[in-house]
Amino acid sequence: MLRPYQMSSVIITGPKNLQELVIKQLYSLKVLHIAEHAKSELADIGAPLESANKLSEILVKVRALIFALGIKKYETSFEIKKDLLSIESATDKLNASLNKSLEELKNLEASISRNESLKQEFAILKDIKMPIESLLGYKSIANFTGYIKDETRLAELKEELLKITSNFAILNARAKNKVFIVLFIDAKSKEIASSLLNKLGFLPVSFPNIAGYNGLAADNLQKIDEEITILNKNKEEARKELNKLKEEYKGFLVAADEFLSEQLEKAEAPLKFAATSSSFLIKGWIPTEDLRKSIDRLNKVAKHKIFVYFEPAIKNGKVPVKLKNPKYARPFEFFMDIYTMPSYKEIDPTFFVAITFPLLFGFMLGDFGYGLTSLIIFWALKKKIPKANEFMNIPIFASLAAILFGLLFGEFFGYEEVFGSHLPHVLSRAEDINELMYLAVAVGIVHINLGFIIGFFNEFNSHGLKTAVYAKGGWIVLEAGVLFIALSALNIISLPVYAGIIVVLFSLFMLYKGEGVRGLVEFPSIFSNTLSYARLMAIGLSSVVLAVIVNESAAEFFHQGNFLILVGVLILIVGHAVNLMLGILGGSLHSLRLHYVEFFTKFFHGGAKKYSPFGVNSS
Amino acid sequence: MAIDISTGLIALASGLAISASAFAAAWAEKEIGVAAIGAMAEKEELFGKGLILTVIPETIVIFGLVIAYLILQLAK
Repeated sequence: MLRPYQMSSVIITGPKNLQELVIKQLYSLKVLHIAEHAKSELADIGAPLESANKLSEILVKVRALIFALGIKKYETSFEIKKDLLSIESATDKLNASLNKSLEELKNLEASISRNESLKQEFAILKDIKMPIESLLGYKSIANFTGYIKDETRLAELKEELLKITSNFAILNARAKNKVFIVLFIDAKSKEIASSLLNKLGFLPVSFPNIAGYNGLAADNLQKIDEEITILNKNKEEARKELNKLKEEYKGFLVAADEFLSEQLEKAEAPLKFAATSSSFLIKGWIPTEDLRKSIDRLNKVAKHKIFVYFEPAIKNGKVPVKLKNPKYARPFEFFMDIYTMPSYKEIDPTFFVAITFPLLFGFMLGDFGYGLTSLIIFWALKKKIPKANEFMNIPIFASLAAILFGLLFGEFFGYEEVFGSHLPHVLSRAEDINELMYLAVAVGIVHINLGFIIGFFNEFNSHGLKTAVYAKGGWIVLEAGVLFIALSALNIISLPVYAGIIVVLFSLFMLYKGEGVRGLVEFPSIFSNTLSYARLMAIGLSSVVLAVIVNESAAEFFHQGNFLILVGVLILIVGHAVNLMLGILGGSLHSLRLHYVEFFTKFFHGGAKKYSPFGVNSS
Repeated sequence: MAIDISTGLIALASGLAISASAFAAAWAEKEIGVAAIGAMAEKEELFGKGLILTVIPETIVIFGLVIAYLILQLAK
């Protein structure tokens, strides 16, 4: 608690012929966080093990197969032969049969789409009682196919054409909202006919696919339909084949991916080491509690032919951090993950966050009904998603806090009365707005001062008592000065106003000594930071008001009775669901923000790397 | 409900305080939101940080709310 695990920095060195052995051992120990070696004049980085090339080649193939078959990663118990050659030959075989199936599927899909467009063309022509082969391929006759608006236009067209020539024939069929026509005309009159058709609003349709077909379109249509059915059946079968392939091999592929990734990580590990032509050197960190055991194992495996040097990690180094917290606070380490890890030397604020985050959230949501609902929701999610099991404790604790504050505020889904009896409350958020705001700001003052106190210890540890008093004590003196000014201005205490001003000036001097010019420039921030906690009131109030609005508009429907009661119930459900969602989102974001922006800035530096030992899959 | 002109002006001023600060907060959030989305396009893990950064200017509207509330006290 408050401090991360103790780390020791470790240097392992030995002859190159032991390198692979040491890597294997380190991988299974899963304790060493490797510090990457930067190429220098003294030592180059190591070369990957010989197997690395082959491994990555097969891994690429395996991953391509996983992608092509659309396999999702899952926990598999598939026992894989841990032998590269057999994995490779199995992969190649699978690749060949997969390519064949994919090719077949592609061809089937292509012929289906060709037949579909053919079907469309036949469907247009199906009422034209004329063999397909007679439609096309004339030299002395021009033909037009397409739509015109209606029969009147058709009559008009015939009339106009008669004026030009009598050498034409029109076939027509009624289509939806329009008339489909096929016009054959003497090739000499093609131009005139074309412009005439244009004038009548003719929409030409071309039939690029029907060449080569004989007989009536209607008969062809039936045949094509049958063909498409067969093709679809074949496609379905090809799909099934592919699925069979997927089901058959997915265990193998996932296990192979896992195995190869592991092997590759080991094979590429020397890239992080320092190396000479005949030796290697690994630098890194091991948690002190695992140190003894790990070194003994390494020495045993290498028969004492390697040298391991270790010392406690120095506080100023780039020590990776492994947070250490009680079980209750551990889920809250997530908030450090998405912000930044505390550095090795400073206090780990996770424990404080674990206490204050739910409280601030609860203050904002502050409704017994909402708290209970979100508790049930997140409890169900926790049971349903085992992966998020630990994480879900955060919203569960937060919901419990919301229930607690709901009791203090006497609120149940925005109602202050349930079944005619008034809920007891310490403070009513809807009415005592002033008190609520003072309370919110008071919470802020407490929270921020907690930050200063933690900051005091951080400064004390890294820069000594004097800086700690100046840099963090200065802020507290500043607050005291402002308090004096306020109290004497309000005539609550009988001190002249300038006494407070002197205290403030003194605190500014302290800040200058402790934090330099930055402290002076930033001194107004304490007011804005404190006032920022007024959001505890603001967000809570908006949540209450929304809930009351939902309740009142539902009540109107209830009074009207009959089926309108159902409408009222619907309003209640939807309204409260939306408000609860907003409340949870707003509550958690703002609670988090108060920690990151207002609380952490008082003491927190961060910037350390997270401890990720070699052998623990980072993904 | 008859309201005299001074009460009306107080209500107007209070409304102005909150709407102007809400506009300012929205403007700032827009700028940050755009940048955050841009960063997320490059690196999806930044969603958490982006979300936090985006709500930071919300303080502005809370100041507005406090001021609006203080102005409303004048009417009593």
